[in-house]
Amino acid sequence: MSAAGLAMRSRFLARASEAAGQIAGRQPLTLSSSPLITAMPRVSPFSTSAPSYCANHKPSAPTTQTNSTDSDSTDKYAAGLRKNKDWAAQTAREHPDLFPTLANGQQPQILWLGCSDSRCAETSMLGLLPGDVFVHRNIANILHPGDLSSGAVIEYAVKHLRVKHVVVCGHTSCGGVAAAMGSKQLGILDPWLLPLRQVRERNLATLQKLSPDKAAEKLVELNVRESLNVVTQKSVVLEAIQERGLEVHGLIYDVGSGVLRELDTSDSDEAIKARLVAFKTEA
Amino acid sequence: MSQQIPQSIEAIFENNKKWVSTKKVEDPAFFEKLAAGQTPDYLYIGCSDSRVPANEIMGLEAGEVFVHRNIANLVPNIDLNVMSVVNYAVRHLNVKHIIVCGHYNCGGVKAALTPTDLGLLNPWLRNIRDVYRLHEKELDKIEDEAKRYNRLVELNVIESCRNVIKTAAVQQSYRDNKYPIVHGWVFDLRDGLLRDLHIDFENMLEDVMKIYHLSPGSGHSETSGGA
Repeated sequence: MSAAGLAMRSRFLARASEAAGQIAGRQPLTLSSSPLITAMPRVSPFSTSAPSYCANHKPSAPTTQTNSTDSDSTDKYAAGLRKNKDWAAQTAREHPDLFPTLANGQQPQILWLGCSDSRCAETSMLGLLPGDVFVHRNIANILHPGDLSSGAVIEYAVKHLRVKHVVVCGHTSCGGVAAAMGSKQLGILDPWLLPLRQVRERNLATLQKLSPDKAAEKLVELNVRESLNVVTQKSVVLEAIQERGLEVHGLIYDVGSGVLRELDTSDSDEAIKARLVAFKTEA
Repeated sequence: MSQQIPQSIEAIFENNKKWVSTKKVEDPAFFEKLAAGQTPDYLYIGCSDSRVPANEIMGLEAGEVFVHRNIANLVPNIDLNVMSVVNYAVRHLNVKHIIVCGHYNCGGVKAALTPTDLGLLNPWLRNIRDVYRLHEKELDKIEDEAKRYNRLVELNVIESCRNVIKTAAVQQSYRDNKYPIVHGWVFDLRDGLLRDLHIDFENMLEDVMKIYHLSPGSGHSETSGGA
């Protein structure tokens, strides 16, 4: 975290503990019930009575619909397998060497760290083919420093496959981001979304100045930057940047237009130096 | 390999623009519809391997399949990452099908059959060794190494399916809605075709619920947000 970030954080904590002091004597309160937090606009673009982050949340289907839904979806499933046959035939026609080559191994140039959102189909939106993009997608493209799943993906892609580009891609209308802008309890999703709330906390003043739409958009961007931060805290990544020019990119995908936009993520020499000192380890 | 391999990140943006134009020609309102929200019928849990892109192998468009991909399509019980995905897809998107898709020639599965220390990857890949241990008798009987490896790919998919079914989200949704149904597939890189392993979902669910029952009435309190 930057020095400014640290200062802001300690100021916030001081104010938070002040607020907590004023209400001392009552039941211990969590931060979320402090006056500071409730002053935050709670309306999110996705807020409904249902889980606030789900833009098109459908209430539990009434039982009367179950049968028709079930038979429809069975058809869709069969259709999926049918479509695969069409795709395999078409791809083999258009790229006769592709499948025989793929069977021998992969040499992707890109590692894609993106959101699970169905609208963010990476290989399609990049106009690329099987074999081009190594992919990890999770809820809200969050990278926890200690997460073994994304950690294993990054290690394998950078060290063993020697990809040339690492891309973190966030997107507009992200359900996870909307959830982190709200205050609804979501069970197991809460610990997963925690890094997003940490980013929100560190940027609370900035976010509060914006309209709910703009604030969500801003948090999408801040979240991408935070995930990039975690990527470049990994020694294996720093080593590849130094030794073979691995490039790290932050992108935002606009689900409403299909267009990708690259963020300026360049760091000062000083920041890069500090990063290397703090995170680069050697065998 | 691909003739469209980008030489630089700039080429990616060119490709992206071309894709956008193609989609708009096919359906001028394509992106407007997506902007309104997502209603995917499928959750796809697959391998990070670049040769197995979810939408392409299923012939589906953007917006049709919610995707989680990790090394060797594992669903470890305590992995918050995949558990969050399953929870969100089942409880909030109401997906109708969950597909666990493995693939032959999987580097992760191969690594797990090799006596190598892969550092950070060890604990992740150890899950695959556990799958081997669970099916040791069957696998040891297969003499041909390639066939044994392929069978481990399939068994790894089946165990991932089982782990998906262990979740409260899946058990409760299936009890209430009769979905999602869990499927196990294997993708064959040599011909681009998907093979359905035809796991018996109903039986597997019943079997799993003997021990992993997480619906109310089992004597345990229901955790509404559980995975």
